[in-house]
Amino acid sequence: MALATKIIEEFKPEFKSVDIAEVPYEKQGYHLAIEARTGNLLNIIDFLDRRDFYIIDLFCVDYQEYLELVYFFSTHRELCRIKVTLKLDPEKPVAPTISNVYTIARWYEREIHEFFGVYFEGHPNLTYLFLHEEIGHYPLRKKHVAVPDHDKKLLNSFKPHEEENSFFINLGPQHPSTHGVLRVVLKMDGEYLVSAEPVLGYLHRMHEKMAENRSYMQFLPNPARMDYPGALLFNLAYVEAVEKLCGIEVPERAKYIRTITCELNRIASHLLWLGAFPADLGALTPFMYAFDDRENILDILEDVTGSRLTYCYFRFGGLYNDINEETFIDATKRFIERMRERLVMYDKLITGNVIFINRIKNIGILEQGQAKKYGFSGPVIRSTGMPFDMRKVDPYAAYGSIDFEIPTGHIGDNMDRYLVRMKEIEVSLNIIEEGIKRLPSGPFKTEKVPKKLKPPKGDIYNAVESTRGETGVYIVSDESDTPYRMRWRVPSYSNLMTFPHLARGVLIADAIATLGSYDIVVPEIDR
Amino acid sequence: MTFGLACCAIEMMCASMARFDIARFGAEVFRPSPRQADLMIVSGTVTKKMAPILVTLYEQMPSPKWVIAMGNCAISGGPFVFEGQYNLVEGVDLLVPVDVYVPGCPPRPEGLLEGLMKLEEKITGTRRFPVPEPKW
Repeated sequence: MALATKIIEEFKPEFKSVDIAEVPYEKQGYHLAIEARTGNLLNIIDFLDRRDFYIIDLFCVDYQEYLELVYFFSTHRELCRIKVTLKLDPEKPVAPTISNVYTIARWYEREIHEFFGVYFEGHPNLTYLFLHEEIGHYPLRKKHVAVPDHDKKLLNSFKPHEEENSFFINLGPQHPSTHGVLRVVLKMDGEYLVSAEPVLGYLHRMHEKMAENRSYMQFLPNPARMDYPGALLFNLAYVEAVEKLCGIEVPERAKYIRTITCELNRIASHLLWLGAFPADLGALTPFMYAFDDRENILDILEDVTGSRLTYCYFRFGGLYNDINEETFIDATKRFIERMRERLVMYDKLITGNVIFINRIKNIGILEQGQAKKYGFSGPVIRSTGMPFDMRKVDPYAAYGSIDFEIPTGHIGDNMDRYLVRMKEIEVSLNIIEEGIKRLPSGPFKTEKVPKKLKPPKGDIYNAVESTRGETGVYIVSDESDTPYRMRWRVPSYSNLMTFPHLARGVLIADAIATLGSYDIVVPEIDR
Repeated sequence: MTFGLACCAIEMMCASMARFDIARFGAEVFRPSPRQADLMIVSGTVTKKMAPILVTLYEQMPSPKWVIAMGNCAISGGPFVFEGQYNLVEGVDLLVPVDVYVPGCPPRPEGLLEGLMKLEEKITGTRRFPVPEPKW
């Protein structure tokens, strides 16, 4: 909070005519709201850039009378979320680009352009990123707005015939090491990459549009399908956001069970990555071992949630059902014991392997200073040595009362990203152990949560630390039983944005290693 | 063929790992190239952007060839069908002929194995393994 007060003090003399308001953080999930205008937006962005704010998210909301661009900022040192809004004319929406300050905005602005038809002046490459070529309207606009002809030319973003002297390779969309259906267009010079340009949208499943057609309850299974290896964490982000929006209390026991199951899920997700990452480098053995351990977690979670992969376990105000004290806790304790032994084995099997080390050490180096520009988070930012973790920055569920360390790396190369994740498995085991020790008795859900939720008018941003980084959900409610607009801030998206930067000038095999080290999940990027 | 689309692909991977061990039925040879494959398991949601690629891959496979539609998305669009949807192919059978449908969201690895049995039965006319009795 101290930072928020300081920002207001510094902001007011510099921008006399701009409204800046303090917002109740507990209710809305951000501290300050600034209403910018087209003329002074860039100055405000510059003001925030000088104070080391990174961009969390940038998106658009269609209020029919006007379109609203929403920029979310925060700092890595201290939590101080600032919402900057910019109103646009729906007939002729034009905004200045901020991509020369924040590189990640390049993608966000392209996304807004194709879903809302907003033009960004000065954008270097305003082509389509997600949608297919037959789309004839702007999908997320409330009214039907047809795509004009001059815009249709931008649909096909990739034109190889323009540069005949270069050699192009399509990595994906059907390629084992892109972890799903990501396509990267590689411009090659022999074995070296000249540039890499990801093309997204091969698994765009319209989650944000769906949210506007579903009630709050009906949308519950969707977050799990966005990030299937870490389904519970996305489930939690959504459930907590709606709880805050409606003011629903959650019993202590439910908070602890949420923490325990989420950490189990985090380990399962990291194990999936632990199998896939060496497989990208050509080592298939760890795959078998990691899946063996993962099956153990799936059994434990299947027992309480009822499904193996796409869990939908948390409900508004608690859980779907209580855990079985005997079977669940015994099985979890047994698993912790087993996993600790296995981690020693993984150390011998993978970490010390000379081929593995040589393939990933000093490759794909990300610097700490770039975090502001790209907004990457999760293990990727922690590998650069910055202990940034939403569980610590903004404690949710029971993380506030459990003490745990945040593993960090040193130089931010692929090896560091690997080591940070391995360390995180250990930390998660400690959190689960601590959580089980302190598990209070009592009810596991709040009674009297109405079936049909009608939250009061307003908006909320809620973020959790998913396995890949900061996952946030922003909901605008208009007092009806469906969200007016729902926006997902997904970590893989901003993590992947660094790939074109890291891939420039490296060998194709090294680029694959870098891509594997991000642990990207494509449905999460495409939504 | 190694052809993971979405969530179901993870269960497909599970099926080929030690616990469920698809190799018991001689079906573990996943090929990264369609030229060497005779079975395409469509494991996940097919979007309109992905559809032409899927068709190309199917056409690149040498005959005889078969298709398993794994999961509700591949069967009918599953949970992602709603009025006004703009990016979904509602069922992969609109694109390529499907031999066996395996329902679930996602189906368990056992489900996929049973799908393989069914396909085998469809091709040979006989079933190698007895149908498991439901326990309930």
